[in-house]
Formats: sequence, structure tokens, C-alpha cells
Amino acid sequence: MADVQAPTEIPVRYLPRSTRATMLAGAAVIVGLISFVIRLGQNPESAWISYVTNWLFFTSVSIGGVLFAVATWIVKAKWNWSVRRVSQSFVAFLPISFLLMLPMLGIGETYFPWIEMMETDPVVANKAAWLNMPFLVTRNVIMVGLLFGMALYFVYHAVRPDMGLLQEAGDKESSRSGWRDKLTQGWRGQEQEEVNSYSRMTKLGPAFVMIYALTMTIVSYDWVMSLEPHWFSTMMGPWFFMGAFWTGIAGTALWSLYLRTQDTAFENHIGLQQRWDLGKLSFAFCVFWTYLFFSQYIVIWYGKLPWEQAWIIRRSDPPWGAYSALVIVLCFIIPFAGLIGRKPKMKPALLATFTSIILFGIWLERYGMVAPSLYHEGDPIFTHWQPLIGLMFLGLYILAVRWFLSTFPAIQVWQPMVDAETLEAEVAVEVPSPTT
Amino acid sequence: MATLGTRERGALTHPDLHRLDDVNRDVLKMLTTPGKGWWILFGIAAAGVGLFFTMWIRQMVLGIGVSGLNAPVGWGVYITTFVFWVGIAHSGTLISAILFLFRAPWRQSIYRAAEAMTVFAVMTAGLFPLIHVGRLWHAYWLIPYPNSRFLWPNFKSPLVWDVFAITTYFTVSATFFYLGTIPDIAAARDRATGLRKKLYQLISLGWQGSDSQWHHFGKAYIFLAALATPLVLSVHSVVSWDFAMSIVPGWHTTIFAPYFVAGAIFSGIAMVITLVVPMRKIFGLEAYLTTKHFDAMAKLMLLTSLIVFYAYLSEFFLAWYSGEEVERTAFWNRLFGTYWWATWTMLVCNGFVPIMLWFKRVRYSIPALFVISIFVNIGMWFERYVIVVTSLHHEYEPFAWGIYRPSVTEMCILLGSFCWFSFWFLLFTRLLPPVAIQELKEVMPPPMRKQAGEAH
Repeated sequence: MADVQAPTEIPVRYLPRSTRATMLAGAAVIVGLISFVIRLGQNPESAWISYVTNWLFFTSVSIGGVLFAVATWIVKAKWNWSVRRVSQSFVAFLPISFLLMLPMLGIGETYFPWIEMMETDPVVANKAAWLNMPFLVTRNVIMVGLLFGMALYFVYHAVRPDMGLLQEAGDKESSRSGWRDKLTQGWRGQEQEEVNSYSRMTKLGPAFVMIYALTMTIVSYDWVMSLEPHWFSTMMGPWFFMGAFWTGIAGTALWSLYLRTQDTAFENHIGLQQRWDLGKLSFAFCVFWTYLFFSQYIVIWYGKLPWEQAWIIRRSDPPWGAYSALVIVLCFIIPFAGLIGRKPKMKPALLATFTSIILFGIWLERYGMVAPSLYHEGDPIFTHWQPLIGLMFLGLYILAVRWFLSTFPAIQVWQPMVDAETLEAEVAVEVPSPTT
Repeated sequence: MATLGTRERGALTHPDLHRLDDVNRDVLKMLTTPGKGWWILFGIAAAGVGLFFTMWIRQMVLGIGVSGLNAPVGWGVYITTFVFWVGIAHSGTLISAILFLFRAPWRQSIYRAAEAMTVFAVMTAGLFPLIHVGRLWHAYWLIPYPNSRFLWPNFKSPLVWDVFAITTYFTVSATFFYLGTIPDIAAARDRATGLRKKLYQLISLGWQGSDSQWHHFGKAYIFLAALATPLVLSVHSVVSWDFAMSIVPGWHTTIFAPYFVAGAIFSGIAMVITLVVPMRKIFGLEAYLTTKHFDAMAKLMLLTSLIVFYAYLSEFFLAWYSGEEVERTAFWNRLFGTYWWATWTMLVCNGFVPIMLWFKRVRYSIPALFVISIFVNIGMWFERYVIVVTSLHHEYEPFAWGIYRPSVTEMCILLGSFCWFSFWFLLFTRLLPPVAIQELKEVMPPPMRKQAGEAH
């Protein structure tokens, strides 16, 4: 029972701090940064492609995770009570992501082919009102800033009531009290804060979803679609942002499974129901990603319009064909076959394997969206620099999420979704809840 | 933790229902002698069905020339209406299958009506390709089998995919609908007499409500729900590809599949509201269909409205962004050309009117929702009209541009299709329990000796 519905007593647990993990992640950041600098000297275009694609991927995971937290909030989901905070924790990478975006705004001609084409190509010249650097910089800074700001505000309101509950419980640990004090400024009493947070989050949620769709569409148009300035596809936006949502779900599953290995409270509370549901959603969005991918592909294949099929042909003919096939295997065939049954969704090892495959697949997919458009005949399609530069983003992402989960309770203490009307469809509990 | 028991649950979903017997009484009451209101509506619907078939037969006798279809607009009101009804069908499956898998409990009061709507809407939609082909006696050509020279129909044609998609959808949704009604038909059987009892005995398949029967029922239901879920996406995707596969400007765009699916659910939810509001009034189902249910439906309508509006915006924006003369002209023509009124009707009804749903007061007002749902029905019909007609009348070559005006025959058949649909729906409310008795009972307070208020 306690699996779907939050228990009345929720243990306050943090992800244990670990110097080793911090060192490892820090080392990854340094290796990544050095790789990027070296590569920048050798081949600036390739270095920036790796930078941008890794940024797109890790930003997708982070904002996708927050969107997952928001979406489950809007529909008043209760099953995810113990993993809610995990999805929220991805927000910690967003301020870093915003800073990492700023250098990208200055790369100009190294990355965007339309800057040169503007002079000679009449069709591209028709798009000058959209494809120009000042407007590109403005809209990216404003929209991405707005989206990330809303994400931070949402998570702030989700965390704030917890801080009061901790204070009441007499949690005096000094290493975390700094943030607790910061987040409880202007405190108006527990009950009022909870009501306030609930109403703010409920109001912000739908607006966040709309800004998410809009911003991610703009990001995909600018950083992916405009690289082949003659190509356009109305599916680009949905394909990009639903993929990001999917990585948010898969990322939540993976971090939740990691948490289970760190503390018995996590192990007990991230139970069968949570894993099953995360598995179901990972499976469902696998099908949905394929649906969007296929819906775009078949329309272009059937239409055979020269400017439209160029994008597909570049990705399906040598040298990129095998790469694209690999993406489809990793994003569709393996997770579809793997997660269709009930057992793999519930068994932590299997679920972790398949969600990792999904994340790896989308990591390749984001590169496959960008790199073929800027490809030069004879170059290798994929080099070791791509993962090496990716280490910088991976390290920062892990540091940020680890910091969040070890600074704020990794299971949300404040659980407002207790209206009893949707109590149904429970599965048997594996471990009896050890609370009270 | 003091688990929140079933009593509170039921009490929250349906605060005015207290006893299990009441459900049987209230729902089965609908199957007894109908009131005057029902007969009036049924009379109108039957007359409309008469008009529908008269005009159709007249068209068969006189030829397809009685419609306004001609070069360059060879697809008009018939195809528009076909897509409209297929779209209406969708929310039934969404409510019965997808919301079931998502554990959304508010579906319980409306899903039976929504499923019935699905079945009847597909039945209506299925007639339109037959009407559209003109020579009905050749309609069997739609069926994929080799002709006398052993040539198969072109499987690369989306129209052939459509035949498969629609028949599969009809089969699965009808099976799903029928399966869900079996326990309720058995409940009706136990009260009925005479011929009706015989009929119910036959179609309830000897249901006794034993444990093993319930067990099998639950298994079958969840399997069918899982099967029906991808169908919600696939059917309207295939319908959208009837358009998107060709390179007509305004049709050929990659977002069409999910855009059509969202639009279909949007129109379907609107139609559920349109149907359920009068049903609630006529049969006195206020305790079963509370404002909470309407609030949830309104939110779903709002969500799908936003998706549809996103698709409009991205289509218009990318038409401009394409930098291609033809794309740009096609969408400019949509907004400001001959059919501007249709496009703006679509934009206002589907994009702007639903903005009101952001307000809780609107979502909780049943008359307001009823009015909005009518707007959405109109808007969604016009959306298909805009897609079909404005794209065809203004293709690539200016010498081939032309204007299409629907004829009286087409308008009568359009009107008749609504009557045909209502005819079946009205019969349904009298022959099968339109509210799911068994699912409602699942969330209702179990009978207890002591009444509410004791320890929990």
C-alpha cells in the first residue's frame, strides 16, 4: 500500500557525501576541459560540434527531469512520491548549463553555415529576419533563461516546505544549515508555506510546460535545424523536446536505482511500484520517440522533395548510415524488446541497464542530429574527442545532481498529494515499509 | 498509517452516492420506458437518417456531380466529415484505455458513453469513403485482394493503409466496448423481462460474476487496453498521412501525425462533453457526473487545444521560414485568401475559445463547458475543411486554381451524419447501461453495518 501512497512518516535521508565521487567527477571535468582546449586548437569546428551536442544532451536530461517532476505534479501523481525529488534534483545543472551556453553564442561562422550562405543563396536570404546572430543570441538568452528560471522557481517551492519540516524535526547539521536558512527567508509558518508552495507550483506548472515546448523548439530550430538552412520540418521541435522528456524519465530511473544502493531507506521506498512505473514510462516513451521519428521519416521519404530528403539521405547513406542504424537500435529495438516485459522493469539491474542504453542512444542521437549537417567529405564521422569533451559535461552534471541530493532530502518530506480519491491499482509491496 | 479506505475514495469521487443498490437503480432506470424528451430527439434523429439516405441514394442515381466536387478540389465535405468522425472516435479509446493505464479514476463515470461514442463515430466515418467514391457498387475495390489480372492494390498508398487502420480500430474498440459492458448487461438481465431478457441473456454470455469470471475479465480488460493504446495513435496518424504523403503545400508537413492525433482527442473530448451534458440532465445523473469529472475533461481539452495550437503555429512559422514561394503563398492564402473565414473560425474555436478553460470557474461551470464544447466541435470540423479545401484549391500551378462550393446534397449528408450518429447513441442509452455500473461500484463504499464517521 505504502508503495503508491506516501507513508505518513517519511525518513529524512541524504545522498551520502563522497570525496571519491567528487574527485572522480572533478577529474572528468578537468579531462573534458583539457580535451576541449586541445581540440579547439586542432579543429575548432569539430570541437564546437562536440561541445554543442554534449550541451544539448545534458541540458535535455536536466530540463527533461524537471519537466517530469512538473508533469507528475500537474496530474497529481502519487506513485512517484519517493522519486519526485530525484527528478527535481536535475535542476542543479541548469545554472551551469546556462553559463555553458554563453560561449556557444559567440561561435558564429564556425558553427552556423547560413552566415556565409546569406550573401549568395536567395532562399536563405529570405530567412534573414530569423537567421541572424543578434536575434539568435537574444532569443536563446531570453527563452533559455526564462525556462531555467521557472524550473529553479518550481523546485525552490518544492524544497522550501521541507526546510521548515527539517527545522521542526530539529535537524541541526551545520553543513546543510546554510542552504536551509537561505531557503527559509521570510518564513511564515509551516502550514502557510505549504499552502503557498502548493498553489505556486500548481499555477506555475502549466506555464512551465508551455515555455518548455516553446523554448526547446527554438533551441532545436537554432542548434539543429538551421545547420541545413534549406531544410525544415515541423516535427523537429516535438521530436527534440519529447526526446528530452524521455531522457529525463530515464535519468530519474537511473539515479533512483543508484540511490537505492546508498541507503536502506532508499532501498525500501524506491520500491516495486516506483521501478515498475518508471520502467513503464521509459518503455512508453521509447515507443513514442520511435513514433515521432518514424512519422517524420515516412513523410519525407514518401514526399521525396529534394530539399527535404537531403537531411535524411545524409544520415542514411554512407558514411552515416550505420551510425543512424545504431541510434535506432539503441533507442528503439533494444529498449523496446528489453522493457516490454514486467520483470525487466522491476529488476533494478535490468532497468538500470536499459535506461543506460536509452541515455546512451539519445546521446548519440543528439550528435547525429547535428554532426552530419556539418560533415566534410573524408573526415571520420565520430572520434574519441566526442566522449572526451562529453566528460566535462558529465562531470559537471554529476557534481551538480550529487550536490543537490546530498544537500536537500533525497526523498521529498513534504508530500501534499494525499487526497484519497485516486488510491487504486497497487501492486504487492516487496519490503514492508519500515517507517513509524 | 491509517489507510484511506474505499469508503472515503468513493465518497470523494461521488459524494452523493451512498448505496450500491442506488447505482443499479439509477443506471438501469435509464433502460425503462423513455420520456417524451427522448422520443422527440429520437424522432428528429430518425428523420435525419431518412434525409441522409435519401440524399445518398439520390447521389448514387444522379451521379457524384450533385456534389460540389470537381477539379481541382476533388476532396471536399465528404472527406472533411470522414476525418471529423474518425477524430471524434478517438477520445473514447483515450478515456477507456489510456486513462485506465494511467490510473486516472475520473474516467469511470464517462468511459462507457465515450466508448459507445467511439463505436458509433467510426460507424459514421466508415460511410463517408463509400459516399465519396460515388459508385457504391465499386466500393469493394477498397478491399485489398488481387484483381482478375492478379494485380494487388498499391500497398504504398495511404488510402489502403486507411482501410486497415479503420477496420482494425473498429474491431478493437467494438470488442473493448462490448467486453466492458458484459457485467453490466448481466445486471440489466437480472431485472429485465420478456424479449429484452432474452436478448440480454444472449449477449451477457452467461455472466454470473464468479471469482474466476472476474479474474478473466480483469485480465482481458487490461490486455485490450494495452492493445488499444497504440491504436489511438496509429489510426489518426494514418488518416493524417492520407494528406501528408502527397506533396500538396499545406498537406506535406512532418508534424501531421501527432498533430492529427491531438486534434482528434481534442474534438473527441469536446464531443463527449456535448453528449454527456444533456444525458446527465435528461436521466438525472448529477450524482454520477460531478463537476470534478467535467473539470478533468476540461483540462484534457485544454491540453489538447494547446498541442493543436502549437502545431498551427509551427506550421505557419515554418512555412514562412522555408523561404519557398509556394509554401509561403499556401499559408498566406489560408489566412487571407478566399477561405479566410474558415481558417479564422478554426483558429478562434480551437485556439482562442479554449483559453477560457484556464479559469477554474469556467471548468466548473457545466453550461459554459457545453458551449465551449460546441465551439470546439465546429472548429475541429473547420480545421479539416481548411486542410482539405484550402490546400487543394490553391496548389502549385496558378492555372489550376479553383474554388469549391459545397452543394446542398453535401450539406444534407453532413447534417444527416450527425443524425445517424445520434440515432445510434440514443438507442444505446436505452439498450445498454450508459454508465458503467461495475466500475462505479468498485470505487463506492462497501456496505457496512456501521455508517460513516467511525474510526479510521
